[in-house]
Amino acid sequence: MDILSLFIIVPLLTIAVLVFTKSLKQARVVSMIGSFIQLGMAINLVFAYLKERAINQDIMVFTRDLVWFEQFNIHYSVGVDGISVALLLLTSIVVLAGVFISWKMYDLPKEFFISLIVLSIGVYGFFITIDLFTMFVFFEIAVIPMYLLIGIWGSGPKEYSAMKLTLMLMGASAVLLVGILGIYYNSDADGGVLTFNILEIAKVNIPFEAQKLFFPLTFIGFAVISALFPFHTWSPDGHASAPTAVSMLHAGVLMKLGGYGVFRVAMYLLPEGAMDWSWVFILLSVIGVVYGAFSAIKQTDLKYINAYSSVSHLGLVLFALLMLNKTAWNGAIIQSLSHGFMTALFFALIGMIYERTHTRDIRKLGGLLKVIPFISVIYVIAGLASLGLPGFSGFVAEMNIFVGAFQNDDIFIRVATILSVSVIVITAVYILRVVGIMLMGPIRNDSYLKLERVTWFEKSGILLLLIPIVGIGVAPLWLSDMILESLQPFIQGLL
Amino acid sequence: MNIGYIILIPLIPLVVFLVLGIFNQKIKPSVSGYVGVFGLLVSAALSLYAAYQYFFVFGKTDGFYQTFSEKTVWMNFTEILHIDMGILVDPISVMMLVVVSVVSLMVHIYSRGYMKGDDGYTKFFAFLSLFTFSMYGLVLATNLFQIYIFWELVGVSSYLLIGYYYTKTTAIAAAKKAFIVTRFADFGFLIGILIIGYYTGTFDFETLNNPEGSAILNWAVTSFMGLSVITWALILIFIGGAGKSAMFPFHIWLPDAMEGPTPVSALIHAATMVVAGIFLVARLFPMFYFVENGFALNIVAYVGAFSALFAAIIAITQNDIKRVLAFSTMSQLGYMMLALGVSGYEGHDGVGYMASMFHLFTHAMFKALLFLGAGSVIHAVHSNFLKDMGGLRKYMPITNITFLIAALAISGVPPFAGFWSKDEILVAAYDQNKLIYYIGVFVAGLTAFYMFRIYFGIFWGKEKYYEHKPKESPLSMTFPLMVLAFLSITAGFIPFSEFISADKAGFEAHLNYPLAAIATLVGVMGIMLAWVFYKKESSLSDRYANALGPFYKWASDKFYFDEIYMFITKKILFKRVSEPIAKFDRNYVDGTMVGIGNKTVLTSEKIKGLQSGKVQDYAFAFIAGAVIIGLVFIYLLTS
Amino acid sequence: MDLSNFLLMRHEVLLLVIILLLIIAEVFLSQSKKSSIVHLAIFLFGIHTIIGFLSIDYGSLFGGMFHTNALIQFFKNILNLGVFILLLQSGDWLQEKIVEQYRGTEFFVLLFSSLLGMYFMISAGDFLMFYLGLELSTLPVAALAALETTKRISSEAGIKLILSAALASGTSLFGISMLYATSGSIYFNDIIEVITLSNLTILGFILFFAGLAFKISLVPFHFWTADVYEGAPISIASYLSVISKGAAIFILMILLFAVAKPLMPVWENMVYGIAILTMFIGNLFALRQQNMKRFLAFSSIAQAGFILLGLIIGNQLGTATIVYFVLIYIFSNLAAFGVVQAISLQTGKENMKDYEGLYRTNPNVSLVMMLALFSLAGIPPVAGFFGKFFLFTAAASEGYYLLVFIAVVNVTISLYYYLLVVRAMFLRKSDNAIPHFKSKIYMRLGLLITAIGILVLGIYSPLYEYIYELSKTLY
Repeated sequence: MDILSLFIIVPLLTIAVLVFTKSLKQARVVSMIGSFIQLGMAINLVFAYLKERAINQDIMVFTRDLVWFEQFNIHYSVGVDGISVALLLLTSIVVLAGVFISWKMYDLPKEFFISLIVLSIGVYGFFITIDLFTMFVFFEIAVIPMYLLIGIWGSGPKEYSAMKLTLMLMGASAVLLVGILGIYYNSDADGGVLTFNILEIAKVNIPFEAQKLFFPLTFIGFAVISALFPFHTWSPDGHASAPTAVSMLHAGVLMKLGGYGVFRVAMYLLPEGAMDWSWVFILLSVIGVVYGAFSAIKQTDLKYINAYSSVSHLGLVLFALLMLNKTAWNGAIIQSLSHGFMTALFFALIGMIYERTHTRDIRKLGGLLKVIPFISVIYVIAGLASLGLPGFSGFVAEMNIFVGAFQNDDIFIRVATILSVSVIVITAVYILRVVGIMLMGPIRNDSYLKLERVTWFEKSGILLLLIPIVGIGVAPLWLSDMILESLQPFIQGLL
Repeated sequence: MNIGYIILIPLIPLVVFLVLGIFNQKIKPSVSGYVGVFGLLVSAALSLYAAYQYFFVFGKTDGFYQTFSEKTVWMNFTEILHIDMGILVDPISVMMLVVVSVVSLMVHIYSRGYMKGDDGYTKFFAFLSLFTFSMYGLVLATNLFQIYIFWELVGVSSYLLIGYYYTKTTAIAAAKKAFIVTRFADFGFLIGILIIGYYTGTFDFETLNNPEGSAILNWAVTSFMGLSVITWALILIFIGGAGKSAMFPFHIWLPDAMEGPTPVSALIHAATMVVAGIFLVARLFPMFYFVENGFALNIVAYVGAFSALFAAIIAITQNDIKRVLAFSTMSQLGYMMLALGVSGYEGHDGVGYMASMFHLFTHAMFKALLFLGAGSVIHAVHSNFLKDMGGLRKYMPITNITFLIAALAISGVPPFAGFWSKDEILVAAYDQNKLIYYIGVFVAGLTAFYMFRIYFGIFWGKEKYYEHKPKESPLSMTFPLMVLAFLSITAGFIPFSEFISADKAGFEAHLNYPLAAIATLVGVMGIMLAWVFYKKESSLSDRYANALGPFYKWASDKFYFDEIYMFITKKILFKRVSEPIAKFDRNYVDGTMVGIGNKTVLTSEKIKGLQSGKVQDYAFAFIAGAVIIGLVFIYLLTS
Repeated sequence: MDLSNFLLMRHEVLLLVIILLLIIAEVFLSQSKKSSIVHLAIFLFGIHTIIGFLSIDYGSLFGGMFHTNALIQFFKNILNLGVFILLLQSGDWLQEKIVEQYRGTEFFVLLFSSLLGMYFMISAGDFLMFYLGLELSTLPVAALAALETTKRISSEAGIKLILSAALASGTSLFGISMLYATSGSIYFNDIIEVITLSNLTILGFILFFAGLAFKISLVPFHFWTADVYEGAPISIASYLSVISKGAAIFILMILLFAVAKPLMPVWENMVYGIAILTMFIGNLFALRQQNMKRFLAFSSIAQAGFILLGLIIGNQLGTATIVYFVLIYIFSNLAAFGVVQAISLQTGKENMKDYEGLYRTNPNVSLVMMLALFSLAGIPPVAGFFGKFFLFTAAASEGYYLLVFIAVVNVTISLYYYLLVVRAMFLRKSDNAIPHFKSKIYMRLGLLITAIGILVLGIYSPLYEYIYELSKTLY
């Protein structure tokens, strides 16, 4: 069995075992072991990749190709480059953290963990596959469990949120389907055969008309899950209603599929379409960046604040992807990673605070630094990370994006860039607002005086997420070089 | 010259920070205090050794102080652009090392007494170390991006320390304000960096500052709205500096920052962090000077001069001694800025540059001393306000003397440190720009006046009622006072121009007697005036205040700048922008999305009548359908 | 022609034999063990189904009135499979409800004769045979719909069906006569030679088409569907929505592709329009259904709309994707109806509201239902997704991107109401949820088979390849 397909098989086995578990204890232990193995594999993959890359200069390594539906030339074909490797690592870490955070999932534990892992299968598959059809399959596999996860284990108007989220994302993927079919039927433009294989299609130059027609479909199809303005409205409600671990996985990993897909499919396969349409989507993404940040200022529900900040941060990713240069793309990928860790961490902490105080309304909270110092301090750190403080991953990502975006000597893009740079201020405003109101200040409610201290599994979940944030922030070189290297062929594809 | 060991100077405080931060709960306060002080002692020793080695052991080669740097790539942007991490050793960075080390060490020692019994003791020292580390990193930075990185880090440590009493709402607000205002300025800074990076292809100081380098020679290549883009970049970078150095109009955060513990105010908001802006301009001085014939530099000069005057006026009217000191700091920073602004480059023309650095150095000493002194007073009377103080000289002799020394120093009375540096600044201004010179002289007078106003107010005047008798602070607090007092007396005699000058060549600076005399005279007059007004409790001052009428009121209300800012942020940005957006998102954007769904359901409601349940209707529909389709196609095909 | 030729009609002959056997058995079975008729029928039909898969030679009989080939065999086998599962699922219901009303045999005889009619319809080589098949396949179902004479609603369904059916077959007979008038023959092979685009042909063709559209319940010929499904016994509703619809689609495909090829410019536009109508109407009506049977009725209308996407391109790819989809659709829909059947048999409840909190009491049934719904909604990795995706791919292959777009919009709408059921079963908690029950072996077997089918059919690609190969034989 090849090293990549294991990322599908191990979770499948985990599920197979989970089916026979009887209690929460068994279920969580099984899932923890499964996710641990995943994490191990992901880490191992990074080293394996670096070793392989030294001797193998193909765009994708560890490739494996099995014919699936011969008549449509659909393959199960996998392969990774530095980008997917990094994202796989992100996924495995967030999933494990998610399992830790769901340590006390009393209601239908077995089902919960199964759905969680099904979701992760979708994500893993999405990141390793290089076949459009298979990619699409995994995309939907990743999305649909959200309905159950939010609907069954969520809180608040969970049914509404779950339905809204699922329909908007599935609607997007439906649009995406048309785009993919369009690409597929133009993949023989140079007289070759129809194919879903990304690398093959990249070699073909698809007629400009087709690109113009299908780029927006593909872009929007993917970007909706990255909360592209104005299709982001599923995310605040979705996050607010979702149980902690699900918010973590969703914001931390699932929303990254969008950026990744845009990059791998829309940008890579339809570059001319991208150039033709870029101004529209640059506009939308910059609106998203500023708009998300501004609406975060006024929110009072922690999860809403985080959801809107995600809109802003991921808007930055899309913006960077549209800059069509290596530095910005590098920034986009790192931003995806960094936002993944950060926001997962945020949601984890919010979950813990909610579990203890039973509210997410910052106006009701106050002085938590005194009563739950560990959680609060980490929250401050996460906050500083998310406002792009040097020494944390966010800074690395944003600087790459800004410098990259600034390489475009075009007044429209310049203005857009400066607008998006302005978020370093706005972000500071809403982050410090929360810190000031919720963590500092006098204790609002005496019942907070006897809040439960942080537990070992919560701690391990937090640290899992914190370490990479600091790691990337302090020593970004190896990561950014790994990604830059993988970006090379894409840039050439562009020129 | 082997500069490898200099890397230890920042690293030690970092280690201290990590240790104290991570084992916060485990460590006993007493221990953490010693750890902090000891760590800094080592750093300080190394810094002084570095200075000694740089200036005396190595000295000049062919007439110039050399620049040494060691750097390693931290991250790659493009083939040419990358962030380096490293250390850059040249006169000003060495000078700054000394300043930071000395003041920081003193503050550490002082804090052991001042913060005793505070339950955040360990945390406090952790933060101090974090700040010191960041500040070292800032002064040693080899390129714009590295300086930006540490720039942000000092910002955040300042945030943490201002908000140290995190249950006090005022402290929280102040911390937030400080961070956001400076962050706003950094927004400009960052854009400036981006421009520089794009148009010059490097962030590296040595390359940028090289007068023969392309960055300086080709400034005219691209222009935007009539100015060279490089000039724009420098202006934006200066905005960044202005933010940190509390220049007008970014000054509003500094007075509020006094919410932090007094040692913090002494270290961060008087001696070190706030001079980062000055340092930044000095660091890029060749660019400022050569690009577009120093256009940006004029802006620096005028902003500096105005801030100096503006702050001095406000300082007179304040009653919270720490705020007086804060405004005085702002005013002195303005002084340094204007000195840079009027400076030339070659030889004695560079006197402004030298003076600015010189004043930075001396100011660090006596302003830190003033703050620590004030802290000692506050410690004794448990109040920040002049009205609660008076006649303390017999209770706290050491504080009294040291404070007096500092006051004399800042008022520019010979032979105290301030006199020498201020004199050089005025010389520089006199040569370049008379207007600025007169402002400078006037400010000098005001400085002396407000400084002695509070001095007399605190130590002389009528004794107030104290519920428990104020007493001199412990040695741990007075010792730093004495050290700094000593430095405030002696620092002026350092032949600064030998070591630090714009062109790194050094020159022979000589006292300009007439100017010095005038300056001194003005200073003394200021003191006299203060004597008349405040030596004895009298209604004199109030009468004059009333005579000045509204102007006095404006000044004491800081010319309403806080209110203006509050209005812009709260009323405009939050009320008029943020809230509407939030609503718009919920109601319209989301509304549309949900609306689409609801419309669908509604339609299905509407059409449910079609399914009547009567077979005859079905039959009718059936036939009708068939016929219509038939007719349509027949029509289509026949026509 | 000698006796061996009759082997070409093996399906038909065998089924006939089974029918006779059942009638005989009816006579000889003692009152006490009437219920064993069910076992017997299922057993016999099982054998029939298996034999159906044995390979035989192809050809035509009665001067081309009846012909058969690999694809047609495959059609019949699919139908057999469907009916077999259906029998399993209805086994318990028959034993408990029907047999003691002495109607067991009736049920089987009627059902099988209807199936027989479909065989003939599919194998028809001329309009006469086709029409015979049509009637034979429809009339018994009407009787079956009214099987539960004790229920008013059931007999109402029977009436409605018989009336509409009569109308439909009448119309299509009218159409056939027009076609005969223009072409002078009722043999498909002759017609395809001479048929041309004349007003009369078009009208005739459209009227004839309406007859089939009725069975597939395409808009606007669909109105009977909901009422009949609701009234008829679940097995019959299921039979109508799966078997008879499937058969009708097969025959329609054959006629459009093989016979009415010259009329393609007409019917591709017509199909285009009807597809859009059908999808929207089906979905919009399904949105607010509370009764599960009505719900599934409209959902099956919408599904028919999707099938038209494959029909419109009229080539091998279209055929393959349609057959593949129908096969998957049969499994999915049978699963759904099976669950409804099981629940209604235990509790008599048929409303979505009653399903609330079902998962917590009856996880397995709920899971099967969820699989079925996801498959109908077209969500990977279950079979339905592949079926739909390939249909869309087929449509896109001829550049019908707009139609595909409309279709995917409808997929999203349909997802909404399928999720409503999932919501009831999984998300909702209810105090008076349906208590835990355990179905009998037949039902469980029936559901198990469908569940496995839903999981495997999609991912197991050789199946599609095989169908694609078969589809050649249509041209």
